[in-house]
Amino acid sequence: MMIDFSKIGHNLEDSLTSKMLPHIWCSGCSLGTNLQSIIRGILRTGLDLDREVVFVSGIGCTGRASGYVEADGFHTTHGRAIPFATGVKLGNPDLEVIVFSGDGDLFAIGGNHFIHACRRNIDMTIICNNNSTYGLTGGQASPTSFEKTRTPTTVGENDPPFNLVDLALGAGADFVARYTSAHYKILPRVISEAIKTEGVAFIDLVSGCPAIYGKRNGYPTGEYMVKNLLEASKEIVPDENGTYLLPENTRIHFDSSVGYIRIPVGIFRRQER
Amino acid sequence: MSESRDDKRVLSGKHLDSGNVAIAEGAIAAGLHGYFGYPITPSSTVMEHIASRLPKVGGRFFQAEDELASIIATIGCSWTRKKAMTATSGPGFSLMQEGIGLAAFTETPIVLANIMRGGPSTGLPTFPGQQELMQAHFGSHGDYLIPTFAPSSVQECFDLTVEAFNASEALRTPVFVLSDQVLSTLKERYIIPEKLEIVDRAKPNAEPIVWKGETISPEFVPPMNCFGEEKKAFATGLSHDPSGHVDLSADTYEKLLRRQREKILRYNHLLPEPESYQVEDADVVVVAYGSTARSAKHAINLLRKEGIQAGLFRLRTIWPFPDEALREKTKGKEVLVTEMSQGQLIWPVERFLRREVHHLPYYRGEIPPPSRIIEKVKEIGGKGK
Ligand SMILES: Cc1ncc(C[n+]2csc(CCOP(=O)(O)OP(=O)(O)O)c2C)c(N)n1
Ligand code: SF4
Ligand SMILES: [Mg+2]
Repeated sequence: MMIDFSKIGHNLEDSLTSKMLPHIWCSGCSLGTNLQSIIRGILRTGLDLDREVVFVSGIGCTGRASGYVEADGFHTTHGRAIPFATGVKLGNPDLEVIVFSGDGDLFAIGGNHFIHACRRNIDMTIICNNNSTYGLTGGQASPTSFEKTRTPTTVGENDPPFNLVDLALGAGADFVARYTSAHYKILPRVISEAIKTEGVAFIDLVSGCPAIYGKRNGYPTGEYMVKNLLEASKEIVPDENGTYLLPENTRIHFDSSVGYIRIPVGIFRRQER
Repeated sequence: MSESRDDKRVLSGKHLDSGNVAIAEGAIAAGLHGYFGYPITPSSTVMEHIASRLPKVGGRFFQAEDELASIIATIGCSWTRKKAMTATSGPGFSLMQEGIGLAAFTETPIVLANIMRGGPSTGLPTFPGQQELMQAHFGSHGDYLIPTFAPSSVQECFDLTVEAFNASEALRTPVFVLSDQVLSTLKERYIIPEKLEIVDRAKPNAEPIVWKGETISPEFVPPMNCFGEEKKAFATGLSHDPSGHVDLSADTYEKLLRRQREKILRYNHLLPEPESYQVEDADVVVVAYGSTARSAKHAINLLRKEGIQAGLFRLRTIWPFPDEALREKTKGKEVLVTEMSQGQLIWPVERFLRREVHHLPYYRGEIPPPSRIIEKVKEIGGKGK
């Protein structure tokens, strides 16, 4: 069936660049929901999307998001969204800069930029669409792919994945949170808090690539994935001595026959007010 | 004069300083807002001088984690309608190739000063080379054309940096300043004029800009819609339509590449012209650029004293190559190319003259000594009267 997209409205229509729609993402992918959560988060802050926000992305399925948002934006080369955002911030500190990119983009080829951004804490919000794979190039292993996982570039087992929450905490980000794409009800609030944070605010947005990675690793459809993400999520319970922040308590557990087993979610660090 | 290093952007007057300081002062005078860099010899003194000066005139200095980041942050800064630059040398220039392609394809005005040392790889960090002429042209993947200027004195380090900013703003393009290690440390007198022509990039829905008395056509150089302004400003490293959005169709891509090349070629005549020194009656014309050209000029003066008619064709703009001027000035004459490389400048010279020329490649981490150039000219047959 041919869909006439010019006749279909969207509840966030004013915030999307209509000429670029329909988007390129597979049905069932986390990306559509995540983009919605982010736009809602931005709108919640009261910022003028057109005048005050710059939406920066790298290369990957996630990277295409910057073209879809009716904000100023830039689709950089692979891995370079963070340094681009840094340049924007030095050029015009009044602009609110949001980096939205993939796990491969931000943590393989762009990993060095991430830790330095956290160290400097120049005001920006970094959201990782963490689907544990290189979606765009065909589902190869990424720095957040799990050890026991099936990808076209996994020989035997993968090396251990990054625990992005632990990494961001260690590198010194001012705000560190993790939720999943299935938390679209909570996310706009978390994202607006992240945007209002003055230094680096990082969100590990655990997401799925059902079309490629999920098919091979226990969550073959978007529907299953959403259920799986919600069931596996465990809201953290902060304690006095901070054991909830230990790497073993923040790490994600995954099994390639059923998908996610345990995803510690919540806000791990926030700026004191 | 170091006591005049105050809070003014344009330090008009006479100065005695190095080529790298002159590049830094040229940038600041031209309106630099954001400098992004990573230390590397022999370019670091550009960065250090800018760090000491730029914040005092309201600009921002940033030391990045590597050159991949410096050039991309430079591009990011430019999209806020602020003038931005970076400087580096060989190994850093290699790392920047990715960002260079992005700047070219997104038509981002930035200036990149590459202070050449001997390569390949880590090569000769503290000695000069001229081995990045081709890299300046073809270093990043894809088709693009980046105006490339080569100073040969401290004065030109200043002047051509100002020209580089003006060209980058007027034509919406990255521009390279190719200097070298000799010029980086060489101290000479240079003058910062009272009045400078400063060009700012065109705005959408505004009068077209004028550069060197010429109106820049918005058809060839689309006005830049920057971040924080009226409409959505968007750019991508993918092929794109005039609005900046992804469009991979054959026609769009072909049109885009063609216009991006044509906009540079159309205003080629506004870029720094070559210097012709004693070429009129010369039997042998030496073709050179940068600090090598200084040695060549000295050699020519000595040859002339012996009555040997030699001249110099010195490139100030390397890309686009001044092919017409070269043909005209060397018609019927022997040509000798000398450079601090096994052979890069000789490629465009032979290609554009469509004949074989003489070559004095010199790659010993120093400029070719005048004695070698004299020897070579005599060998070619520059005879005394
Ligand atoms: C320098 C460079 N190397 C490789 C690629 C190919 N490439 C495109 S996207 C991508 C990985 C994307 O993975 P991720 O960042 O996780 O994004 P996703 O597609 O999963 O959203 C790669 C390797 C490229 N574009 N540039
Ligand atoms: S390949 Fe995976 S990440 Fe990319 S759009 Fe499809 S489902 Fe999403
Ligand atoms: Mg990914």
